[in-house]
Amino acid sequence: MSRPGFVLEVDDRTPPLVVHEGEGFRLERFPLGTRVVYPPESQPGIRDVAGAVRHALEHPEGSEPLRALLRPGMRLTIAFDDISLTLPPMRKPDIRQVVMEEVLTAAAAAGVDDVVIVAANALHRRMTEAELRDIVGERVFRSFYPSGDLYNHDAEDPDNLTHVGTTDRGEDVEINRRAAESDLLVYVNVNMVAMDGGHKSVPIGLASYRSLRHHHNSRTMVHSRSFMDHTKSHMHQSAWRMGRMLAEHLKIFTIETTVNNDVFPDRYSFLMKREWEWGIRDQASMLAAKRGLAMAPNKLRHNLFQGMRAPYGLTGVNAGETEAVHSRTVATVHRQQVVDVEGQSDVLVLGVPYLSPYNVNSVMNPVLATCMGLGYYFNSYLGAPVVRRGGAVILYHPVPWEFSQLHHPSYVDFFEEVLTVSTDPAVIEAKFEAQYATDPWYTHLYRTSNAYHGVHPFYMWYWAAHAMDHVGDVIWVGANRKTVERMGFRAASTLRDALEMASSSVGRSPSITYLRNPPHLLANVAT
Amino acid sequence: MNVPVTAAGKVVVGMTSGLRKDVAMVARGWRWGRRPMVPRSAEPFMQPKESTTFPTAWARKPVANAVREVVQKAGLNPLLHRVVTPVVGGLDVLDTVSGPVVFVANHTSHLDTPLVLCSLPDGWRRKTAVAAAADYFFDTWWRATSASLAFNVFPIERRSGALSSTPAELLRQGWSVLIFPEGTRSPDGWVRKFKLGAAFVAAEAGVPVVPVSLRGSFAAMPRGRNWPVPGRQAVTVRFGRPVLPVRGEGPRDLARRIEEAVARTADEDATTWWEASRRPAGASEAALSGPKVSSWRRSWEATAPPEVRGPRQVWR
Repeated sequence: MSRPGFVLEVDDRTPPLVVHEGEGFRLERFPLGTRVVYPPESQPGIRDVAGAVRHALEHPEGSEPLRALLRPGMRLTIAFDDISLTLPPMRKPDIRQVVMEEVLTAAAAAGVDDVVIVAANALHRRMTEAELRDIVGERVFRSFYPSGDLYNHDAEDPDNLTHVGTTDRGEDVEINRRAAESDLLVYVNVNMVAMDGGHKSVPIGLASYRSLRHHHNSRTMVHSRSFMDHTKSHMHQSAWRMGRMLAEHLKIFTIETTVNNDVFPDRYSFLMKREWEWGIRDQASMLAAKRGLAMAPNKLRHNLFQGMRAPYGLTGVNAGETEAVHSRTVATVHRQQVVDVEGQSDVLVLGVPYLSPYNVNSVMNPVLATCMGLGYYFNSYLGAPVVRRGGAVILYHPVPWEFSQLHHPSYVDFFEEVLTVSTDPAVIEAKFEAQYATDPWYTHLYRTSNAYHGVHPFYMWYWAAHAMDHVGDVIWVGANRKTVERMGFRAASTLRDALEMASSSVGRSPSITYLRNPPHLLANVAT
Repeated sequence: MNVPVTAAGKVVVGMTSGLRKDVAMVARGWRWGRRPMVPRSAEPFMQPKESTTFPTAWARKPVANAVREVVQKAGLNPLLHRVVTPVVGGLDVLDTVSGPVVFVANHTSHLDTPLVLCSLPDGWRRKTAVAAAADYFFDTWWRATSASLAFNVFPIERRSGALSSTPAELLRQGWSVLIFPEGTRSPDGWVRKFKLGAAFVAAEAGVPVVPVSLRGSFAAMPRGRNWPVPGRQAVTVRFGRPVLPVRGEGPRDLARRIEEAVARTADEDATTWWEASRRPAGASEAALSGPKVSSWRRSWEATAPPEVRGPRQVWR
């Protein structure tokens, strides 16, 4: 049986602890008394994955079995989560492939001819053929891609969008036309954290900018506390209103899957163990990995990390009515990730790894590093933030001045033009968002190349709005000084320096909490 | 002749230096060649160890006693005097008791056991056994054997709460017993709450308890050190007036009196018998458990070597 997560208090017996920092990691000695929050150990995965999927399709929550919803002559659309999930990408076969194959088998048996598969990438970049094939598998790809029935959602194609209506708060609900006009929309989700899934899938994944702007804005994001608790997240509440409205117009059959905490492949298994339990082999593996990475040229190191595939195991699969399914999904995710933490601390320490949802097969630029640290990791809480209001956040990442011109063209201009004027999410939203969102060049690149939408860097910045509003100090350890200064933060060479710099806001003997993720964890903070 | 350093050479030097630093960090952090340690807050997650039943009766047989005599007199005692400066007081109290007693001392350092043993008159020393943590001293055969031989230790469970029958048996056989009722070495040099084991044993056996105060051993060799700090720091060992169990008295009450007696002995050692006698009740214990200030100030005060006075005063 896997052990639950727990909170370590650093003492004189504690060995140096692993801290992720971009494409590498370091061993850090934390001050005595530092609390280190460890995620629960990985739960065992389901052995018969296809069997579990079939069982879920036959015994759905709040819905008839999928088999009963399929009939000849119907229009069936299957949408699925894009490459932003899972992190790192799953070792083959991807769970979405397994689910889609079961759905298609049932559809074929029922005589459904009109089937289209859409990647629910919203304003994310279009996936390449290879990336699509990786997710859906060879068999599905070969059956649907050549005929154009497997494609990326295009949020800027007016001919393929349908304005379904507005919510009672006046929020536009505009989604992919094919999905909106289908007799049945099957959504295939993979849930890595509690934020994913539910009504975040269809109303966001298949939406247009016109619809997304209602919840992806600085005001909503700053009041989402946290993103991991959909009942307390304004962003999710807006998506839930849209989802409920959509459910009145469209039959949606949601399939949600959850994975365990097997984030790293075997050769990096020491990264998932608690350091004092490292045996000789773990210590040797760590030394080899650390020295190897230090010696490797940047490109090789980048390829090593980006080529990493996680041996995730399936912990649950639920199908049926979206909200009924999602409540079961969240419970499973909580079982795998929740750790009880007593009280807030003055300083929160986070190691930002090499990967965020938006730089798979790409470069983690400074805005994405900020989003990962202050957006995702800071928000990995239930109840209250791990750090007190006015406290300090210390992040580890080199934050190089590096962008992918292919994937993140608007980020380059955002960094050069917008952040030099202001770093306040509300200000930049008012002054610049519309311009970037409607820029024809960015739109062209989004639609025809593999670029994120022009407005995407703004959304990433808004993700961090709650953290920026909540804390008094943000300090990056080991970061490029110029880059973080551009974003309104400060850089330190070491943890000691960072604590020294933060002493003006948190004093000389602050309480410190380090969230040791990945693997993923969700701090349930009792205040 | 100056040899030009090439770029490749610099890279090699850099790599070697990085590797050396990393290996050193891992060796230190994971205690290569030493006992691996688990952070205290992580201990509950360890598999509970099987109860140790290491036999120690052999260590009290004539041959083992003879070997121990040599080890303690010819090895331990000179070594102890070489690395610290023991100052012993209050031995006259031992004239007031006869037969086995329970020595109860505060515990801050691995120096404590040899200090107490080497301070005792030979007759008492030869007939004193020491209670040692089963999970620490008896986890490997070689550690258990060497500790039993050198210090005449016997195992005592400090986690399970189960009382060992060995100390009572030893007392019946005429052996005195040294117990550190805090259960472990103090992390900051100040006395922590006493457990009930020593009081229970003394009450059951009806033997006197001799309080022993140790001061300066934390400053000389605190937790985490394997050898005393240089400079032959002064360490004081003082034996206090015996505490006699009263008929019908429970271990809890006796434990409180023992704690008071150790505190008073420490107070007496730091000041004078007269000053310690005139203090209000509870004042000595408060001084023994340390000031209620920040942790660094407590450690700072505890790590100062005790002030050793010159010629013995009348009331000391």
